[in-house]
Amino acid sequence: MRGSAHVHMQGIVKRHGAFTALHGIDLVIEPGEFFALLGPSGSGKTTTLRILAGLEDVNAGQVWIDGQDVTHAEPGARDVAMVFQSYALYPHMTVAENIGFPLKMIGTPASDVGRQVKDAAARVAIDHLLDRRPGQLSGGQQQRCALARAIVRQPRLFLLDEPLSNLDAKLRLETRAELRKLQRSLGVTAVYVTHDQEEAMTIADRMAIFMDGRIVQVGTPHEIFRRPATATVAAFIGTPPMNLLPATLQAGWVHVAGKSMPVIFPKGTAREVTLGIRPGDLRLADDGIAARVEFVEDFGDSSIVNLEVAGQRVKLRAGELPAVREGDDVHLTFEPTAAHLFDRADGRRI
Amino acid sequence: MTRRFGLRAAGLWVVAGLLVSVWVFPVLWGLLTSFKTERDVLAYPPLFVFEPTLANYREVLFGTSTILPNLLSSMIVASGSTLLTLLIAVPAAYGLARLRFPGRKATGFYVLATQMLPPVGLIIPYYLVMQKAGLLDTYTGLITIYLTFSLPFAVWLMVSYFEDVPYEMEEAALLDRAGRLRTLWYVILPQVRGGIAVTTVFVFLNAWNEFLFAVVLGGNKVRPVTVAMFNFISVEQTQWARLAAGAMLAMAPVIVIGLAAQRHIVKGLTVGAVKGGGRR
Repeated sequence: MRGSAHVHMQGIVKRHGAFTALHGIDLVIEPGEFFALLGPSGSGKTTTLRILAGLEDVNAGQVWIDGQDVTHAEPGARDVAMVFQSYALYPHMTVAENIGFPLKMIGTPASDVGRQVKDAAARVAIDHLLDRRPGQLSGGQQQRCALARAIVRQPRLFLLDEPLSNLDAKLRLETRAELRKLQRSLGVTAVYVTHDQEEAMTIADRMAIFMDGRIVQVGTPHEIFRRPATATVAAFIGTPPMNLLPATLQAGWVHVAGKSMPVIFPKGTAREVTLGIRPGDLRLADDGIAARVEFVEDFGDSSIVNLEVAGQRVKLRAGELPAVREGDDVHLTFEPTAAHLFDRADGRRI
Repeated sequence: MTRRFGLRAAGLWVVAGLLVSVWVFPVLWGLLTSFKTERDVLAYPPLFVFEPTLANYREVLFGTSTILPNLLSSMIVASGSTLLTLLIAVPAAYGLARLRFPGRKATGFYVLATQMLPPVGLIIPYYLVMQKAGLLDTYTGLITIYLTFSLPFAVWLMVSYFEDVPYEMEEAALLDRAGRLRTLWYVILPQVRGGIAVTTVFVFLNAWNEFLFAVVLGGNKVRPVTVAMFNFISVEQTQWARLAAGAMLAMAPVIVIGLAAQRHIVKGLTVGAVKGGGRR
């Protein structure tokens, strides 16, 4: 492999008419990293990827790949490969011709093309399908063909735009792991766009969370899960995501739904906050926040209890099926260290 | 098959049969006539059983009033305008469908607007222009005039085909270092070849069948077969049998091409009706 790229984006602004899609994106991606751009649809993550690929112009800001300013370079001049959500295979070419196309375009001798196409196809286990056309392949095979086409040229940067979203659930899990392995073995830098937080959490070395055209947090999945920077990020990450309740913070205590619970936070004047508790950190207890059981989801090895607290839905994850039934009145508690607090006005972590 | 379905199918066959017979009858009648003698043609009541003769074909092909030069003339005009139309319309349509440039919409509308004029209204101005330019009765002249009609039509037809090709495919090719031109050649054109086939057939047949401009702007040198038919109609008499034989020869390429391209044509007329619908 020809090595892996270092990516640096600074102050990227993108407007579509009056609408601003990106309000100044700053991003550094280290060589060899598997980096996820995560966010809800319309948050700007795909636009960021397309700017990196050179498929979109920027209104302001700069993009460097390996220290070279490529802000206005043509897509073909950047030495990047991309896997599209729709795979964008060429329907009139065979699998072998599809994979060999990038090689043909850079003038690789025909004898080498055949060998490199076979190698790339073997890496993604479709070397027995080389004579088929894309229309004769299953969704998973098409996806592999698109991957092979991207890796065959040995690019320094590998861009993936929701590559797994068109696969069924089981295949998606398998491919996710294989994709990670493939990227590792190639040592190439990969930038991966997804709206599926679980996918990003499991596959990425680091990730950037996009909200409304801004990056609100960058970090390892663990960091972001442990310390979400805003209430919105907290509500986006985790399966199921964090419970958020309006509360008041005062002198090491948080007042929530008519109950005071101890938390480890600096004392000070009272302030309005949003209290965040992961479903796995909530426990049923004899005393605590009053709640009513709405329904229980049983997954066999674990269960989710859906509760109502002061008019809001709260989820509790339990290992074993708790002995509660619909309509039961219960009490909830949590460890003081498990509480996340966010400023009620701007949503930032306290 | 259920009884209801059977009735329905039968009904459809009857209706389709009636409609088709309206179109087919004149052709069949012309075919019969072309094998009759002039005396049999004028017989009343009309003869369905007669002794067929090839004399009419011999006459229109190799006799004094041969139409072979006119068939050649038609072929030159139709092929010439088809070739030029495709050479210009395909890249133009690609540009209109894909590239962003100022005035793109206006250009598109302008192309369409040229189709809004009734062709008859253009005959006199065209005649005057051609006369001034010394292009009356020349292939260059007639082909140029045909281009003014076939180009807008071809551009609009091709635009809808280009728009059906997914953007991402083009972007993939650009990232694969193909560049604009090679992307067009290797990735886009192979996917619109159905559209190119349809456009070719339509443009060729329109030029082949054209009469009005050919009769006004042509002459002794450029005399397509549609005009030459009139050799068989004179003040004193109409040579029906020869006219029919000539018409059959003139129609032959149209029918052959039509049948060969039938599948593409039907697809071509419905393209755009189902945007992105399963053409991959």
